[in-house]
Amino acid sequence: MPTDKNNGHGNTVVDVKNLTKKFPDPMTGEEFVVLDAISLSVEKGKFASIVGPSGCGKSTLLNIIAGIETHDPSDGGTLDVYSDSEVAEPRVGYVFQNARLLNWLTVEDNMIFALESQGISKDLWRERVDKYLEMVGLEGQQKNYPLNLSGGMQQRVAIARALAIEPDILLMDEPFSHLDEITARKMRFDLMEILMRANPTILFITHDLGEAVFLADNIYMMSTKPARIFKQIEVDVPRPRKPEDPKIFDLEKELVREFFSVLDAQELEDG
Amino acid sequence: MKSLNLKPGLVPGVVTILVSLIIWQVASLFFIPVFLPGPVYLIDLIVEVYSDPASYSVIWQTLTRIFNGLVLCMLIGTSIGILMGIRKNFESFMDSWIMVLLTFPAICWAFLSVLWFGLSEWAPMLTVILIVFPFVSMNIWEGTKALEKELVDMATVYRSDKWSMLRKVLIPQLMPYIFSAMRIALSLSWKIVLVGEAFGVSSGVGQKLIYWFEETRVDMMLTWGLSFMVLMVVIELLVFRLWERHTFAWRHQIAN
Repeated sequence: MPTDKNNGHGNTVVDVKNLTKKFPDPMTGEEFVVLDAISLSVEKGKFASIVGPSGCGKSTLLNIIAGIETHDPSDGGTLDVYSDSEVAEPRVGYVFQNARLLNWLTVEDNMIFALESQGISKDLWRERVDKYLEMVGLEGQQKNYPLNLSGGMQQRVAIARALAIEPDILLMDEPFSHLDEITARKMRFDLMEILMRANPTILFITHDLGEAVFLADNIYMMSTKPARIFKQIEVDVPRPRKPEDPKIFDLEKELVREFFSVLDAQELEDG
Repeated sequence: MKSLNLKPGLVPGVVTILVSLIIWQVASLFFIPVFLPGPVYLIDLIVEVYSDPASYSVIWQTLTRIFNGLVLCMLIGTSIGILMGIRKNFESFMDSWIMVLLTFPAICWAFLSVLWFGLSEWAPMLTVILIVFPFVSMNIWEGTKALEKELVDMATVYRSDKWSMLRKVLIPQLMPYIFSAMRIALSLSWKIVLVGEAFGVSSGVGQKLIYWFEETRVDMMLTWGLSFMVLMVVIELLVFRLWERHTFAWRHQIAN
C-alpha cells in the first residue's frame, strides 16, 4: 500500500491524483482501462462519496486504496494515504457490501480480530469493543454468534469492527445495498448519528444518489467505461439532516438530471 | 435439534441384522466352532477374553499406535493440503506425487516399512502415514478450493498476520474437510496398524490375529477382530460426533 508519511499533506487523508488502472482482457489479452485518471481527495473528518452506476469500477478504486488490489504506477497517477501518527502505517477500516464476518467467532472476537491484527494494545480491546458496539446499537451482543443476527445487524457488527480500530480512513462499499430498504434507511440515520459522535473520515461508494446527498460532505460523480469523475459538488447542509429537507431533495433531483444527461451523451457517443 | 428421531430405514436395518445373525447361527451348527463359530458361541469367548486384564494392555498398545499414526498423518496431510491450496508451485510439485502415493499398493508399504525400520515402533507408524496422508491431503486440497477470497481480503485489509490468517480465517473454513479427512484416516489407519502389527512388530491386536491364524482358530480371530471393530465404531461415533458437534456449534445456535 502506498503510505507516504510526509507532513506536508495538511488535512488530507486520502490523496488520489490521476490514478489510472488497466486490466488485461481475459479473452483477448488486450488491456482495457477501468479507471481513467481519477483524482480525488478526502479531508480529515469529512465524508466523501463516490456515486456511479453499478460495475463502473468504484469497488476497484476502493480496493486499490485498501491495498487488496494493486496499482501499477506505470499506468499513471499516484495514491497516498496519510496517517495521523508519524510512526504508524495508516489504519484502514473497510465495510464491504456484505458483512464478511468470521461466523465461527463471536461478535466480540470478530472485532478483536481486527484490533489484534492492527497491533492495538490488548488493554484497549474491552473498551473499544463495548464502545463501538454500543455506537452501532448492538450493546450486549458481545458473546453472540454472527449467524444469530439478521443481515442488518451483521452489517452493524462490520461497521463496529471497522470503527473499533479508529481508522485514519473508513472505506465503505455500498454497505447498505444488500439490505431491504426499510433496514437500509434506518442504517443511514444511525450512520449519521455515528458521524456526529465519532467524526470518522469516510470514503463511501454508492449507486444511490439520494444516499450520497443525505450522508456526504462532498460527492464525486463517476461515469462508466472507463470510470471518470465528471463532477464534484459540496453538500452544504448541516447535520443532522432530514431526507425530506427541501435542500437535500432539490440537490438530489438536480444530480439525477445531470447524471442522466452525461450517461445519455455517453451512450450516443458509443453509438 | 432433532437427535433421536427414528429414521424410516432403521426397522428394515435391524431386521436384516437379526436375520443375518440367525442364518449365521444356523450355518455354524454344521461346523466345528474353531472353523465357523456361531454368534452365541462368540459372545461367550468375547466375555472370556475380556475378563483377562492382559487383553486390555494388548488393545491399549494398538490404540496408541493408531492414535500416533492418525495424529501424524493428519498433521502432515493437512499441512501439505493447505500448502497445495495456497502455493501454486507447491501444488504442481505435489499433485503427481500424491497420485503416485495413492496408487502404490498398500501392502508394499507395509513390507517396505518392516524392511526399512525392522521391528521398531516406526514400522507400523510409517506404513500408516505413507498410505493415509495422501487421502488427507487430497481432501484438504479440495477444501482449499472452496475458501472464500472475500474473507481473506477482509483479513488482509485489517493486516492480519499469517498465523492468525491461518488459525482464524483459513482453518475454520477447512474444518468440514478436516473432519471428513479424519474419518477416512481413522477407518484406514486402524486396519493398517493391524496389518503392520501382524507382519512387523509382533504385538498388539494384530499379533493376536496372526497368532490365532497360525493356530487355525477362526473363533479366536473373530473374537479379537470383531470386538476391535466394535471399539472403533464406538470411538468414531462418540468421539468424532461429539467433537464435530462442538466445533460447529456456531452453526446450530438458533436464537431469536
